[in-house]
Amino acid sequence: MNHKAIAIGRLPAVWSLDRAAAFLSQPVNWVFLGVGGIIAFLSLYPSFFLLYGSFTDAPLGVPGHFTLNNYIQAYSDPEAYRLILTSFIFGIGASGLSVILALTLAWITIRTNAPFRKLFELTAIVPNIMPPILISISWVLLLNPNNGLINAILMQWFGLESGLFNIYSIPGLIFVEGLILTPLSFLIIAAAMKSMDPALEESAKTLGSGEFGVATRITFPLMRPAILAAGTLNFVRAVESFDTPAIIALPARIEVFTTKIWREALGSFPTNHNLAATYGVGILVIALVFVYLYRRFTSQVESFSTVTGKGFRPHQIDLGGCRILASAVAFILLALMVILPFMVLLLMSVLPYYHVPTWETWKNLTLDNFRYIADNDRVYRAFGNSLFLAIVGASLCMLLASLTSYITVRTKIAARGLLEGLVFIPWAFPGTALALGLLWAYVDFPIPVYATIWIIMIAYVTRFLPYGLRAVSSTIIQIHRELEEASIVCGAGFLATFRRILIPMMRPGVVAGWIILATIFMREFSASLFLYSPGSEPLGPLLYFLYLDGMRGRVAAIGLVISLISIILIAIAQRLSRWETK
Amino acid sequence: MSDKFKYLLVCAVAFFYASQAWGQDAKLVEAAKKEGGKAVVYGSLESDTVGAIIKAFQKKTGLQVDYWRASATKVMDRAMSEYRAGKPLFDVMLTNAAPMHVMLNEGIFAKYNSPSAADFPKDAIDPNLGPRYRNVIAGIVYNKSIIKPADAPKSLEDLVNPKYKGKLVMPDPTQHTTTTQWVASLDKIMGKEKADKFVRDLAATKPILVESLLPAAERVTTGETPIAITYVKYVFIFGKKGAPMDYVRLGKMLGDGHYVALNNKAPHSSGGKAFIDYFIDDESMKIMAEMGEFVNRKGIYPPLPDAEKIQFVQMVNFDKKGFAAKKKEYSKLFLK
Repeated sequence: MNHKAIAIGRLPAVWSLDRAAAFLSQPVNWVFLGVGGIIAFLSLYPSFFLLYGSFTDAPLGVPGHFTLNNYIQAYSDPEAYRLILTSFIFGIGASGLSVILALTLAWITIRTNAPFRKLFELTAIVPNIMPPILISISWVLLLNPNNGLINAILMQWFGLESGLFNIYSIPGLIFVEGLILTPLSFLIIAAAMKSMDPALEESAKTLGSGEFGVATRITFPLMRPAILAAGTLNFVRAVESFDTPAIIALPARIEVFTTKIWREALGSFPTNHNLAATYGVGILVIALVFVYLYRRFTSQVESFSTVTGKGFRPHQIDLGGCRILASAVAFILLALMVILPFMVLLLMSVLPYYHVPTWETWKNLTLDNFRYIADNDRVYRAFGNSLFLAIVGASLCMLLASLTSYITVRTKIAARGLLEGLVFIPWAFPGTALALGLLWAYVDFPIPVYATIWIIMIAYVTRFLPYGLRAVSSTIIQIHRELEEASIVCGAGFLATFRRILIPMMRPGVVAGWIILATIFMREFSASLFLYSPGSEPLGPLLYFLYLDGMRGRVAAIGLVISLISIILIAIAQRLSRWETK
Repeated sequence: MSDKFKYLLVCAVAFFYASQAWGQDAKLVEAAKKEGGKAVVYGSLESDTVGAIIKAFQKKTGLQVDYWRASATKVMDRAMSEYRAGKPLFDVMLTNAAPMHVMLNEGIFAKYNSPSAADFPKDAIDPNLGPRYRNVIAGIVYNKSIIKPADAPKSLEDLVNPKYKGKLVMPDPTQHTTTTQWVASLDKIMGKEKADKFVRDLAATKPILVESLLPAAERVTTGETPIAITYVKYVFIFGKKGAPMDYVRLGKMLGDGHYVALNNKAPHSSGGKAFIDYFIDDESMKIMAEMGEFVNRKGIYPPLPDAEKIQFVQMVNFDKKGFAAKKKEYSKLFLK
């Protein structure tokens, strides 16, 4: 069967009643219309307010006049372009580092027989759970040149006069952001790696390639869509991140684009919504260019099809004597990503106030911060709200992402590219700017969702759908069409094929995406902060307020409990995924 | 008039006012219960402090209080966005002078003369916003386990002494609004000439710049940077956890005033009024002071050494253009 047989849903060039009826007779087109309608609404409704805001001279909600002054102010300053360049270096460095670390870790944990690989796989996701600001603070406490713990130890051991490492530098900034971004890369790359067809690797081996040759010439090139997906997502995430630059770049007097946005728009008094929206449009353009490049890279879908009907579980590589070395490498990476920052958090959570530990410290250890969690109704309520948002929100998001991914990757519907573009629009705005758009969009919405937990759910799905979409798309690209064709030949319709063939095949990507989203939803704050009402407070704002009040110990203690709950969620998700496979 | 008669007269007047206030309280509480028995408060005052006040308020009135806390700018953003959309959810607003004046000019506050306001000094009452219930005071804070009190700076001018180079952290005055105000107000305590020179010299020492006042104080507690320009109250807040912190007794110190106001479209206006009455009452002021705040009540001070000797000087307020101009001016000095 040629591909035209399943090139369902192509929009007729000229519409007539007959053609419209034919279009609507295909179930997939109904799905397209439904999903397209939901995504268009979620994406365009709040974005409209922000785009409108960038062309007006009055704040949101106040009638203003059309103006281009915001664009002139934002982009006529030559300094802005220098900062964009710095941001590009930062973004490329951090996303590149995250992809390299994730590839190494994914290969060791999924493709080799290294000891403890399952444990490494589980813990690699842990940093995604922690608010990035806490990880940045941990690294400042470890590597600041004055009294960073690692520097202090090295100075003592080797009699150095000054600290060996300086976190307050561009490499320091890239290093910390790279570590923060690695779990997202890992989840996307690992999901794709799990779904690889061993046939190509076996052929290469038969033709005389060694394990290293197979890895570099077959495995990694086959991972290209996933690598590009992870790189694209993380590049934009780094460029729009403010947490790490605020902690590390500002004291180092390094200016990036987000610190400029903060100074001139979001952090100015009063907040300049119009300028924030205008900068947001700039980031949107950059993000859309990257989405376009990503689609170009992956346009020849067939060349990446690695999951076929011939069996699809990759074989494990026997590393022989190098097994321990591989585990050691994975352990070092995890020490950087998880163990060291978490040790600092653990220390923070049992100290009355953070200081460089001395022998006196042991006398002052306290469990007060954990007692606060146990005794406080507000904390309990926030945990309940966040768990609800994580489980229900991530599930809704992945359902929408799976359907969107199918439409954009598998069908030839003319407007499918537009659908993907729509998904990315809200993601490209800085978090706080989008939250303002969402607030304005839903405060006067006819269905009373404002000031309920549902508006937070809508915000999460709107903002984080691209993460789910990327995770599932990089898997669906790898699934060969022959499986769907076989299903259709056997008489199954679209829905049966989607449910019985594609969903099980996409499961690694769906589970990976669900985990990414659930862990982000457990601690998200920039959108929640503007949208929650006191009864629907999730953990993110609670952590933010405690941090704002200087309660680092409580933040660390809650952070540790969130990590524990998230690990349990991840373990359940992975177990369910395997159980269903059986 | 005999002394005895005077005493009786004072007692009668005091009783009259007290009973009037209590009568208003009781009526308001009843009305608030009919409105749903709650008040919604937006503000930038620390959650623990508000939490302690809410607990006492609930015990006294049986009314519930929902508190939404964020930074001053975010609080103002949310309140004004809701108000413009015609759906303000908050009854009471608590934050500092500059955003309060912006919101006042937007016309979102109702004029409410709380009976509790009468106990504030006259110079602490704004004709439009009512009593300035607390002052947040910024000064020089240091880690006394790293800098011995004898070696600590004694004045603002001392900060530019080369021996403190690399040891001072402050919020970025080109980014952090309160710090912009602080730098711009130095002439009020130093005189213009001295202040201008000090600002130039301070910028030339390239102090470590951070996002806001709390990260500056935290770097002092961790010892990463032993001296900071930050809120003096952090000496008490971190000190009670054991951090070795102290502040330089400057005499006159700059700070910002905080106000409380009622939304003119408050969904629970009686609950809001009852909360304001209690919030600026003696009992609440004492709770606030015990949590480390400088409240504007005679004889009530935070448990900070020499707190009663600090002379508060209100920082200047700017409008949008004023802030932009100052931030631009300080960019040339501090970020070059």
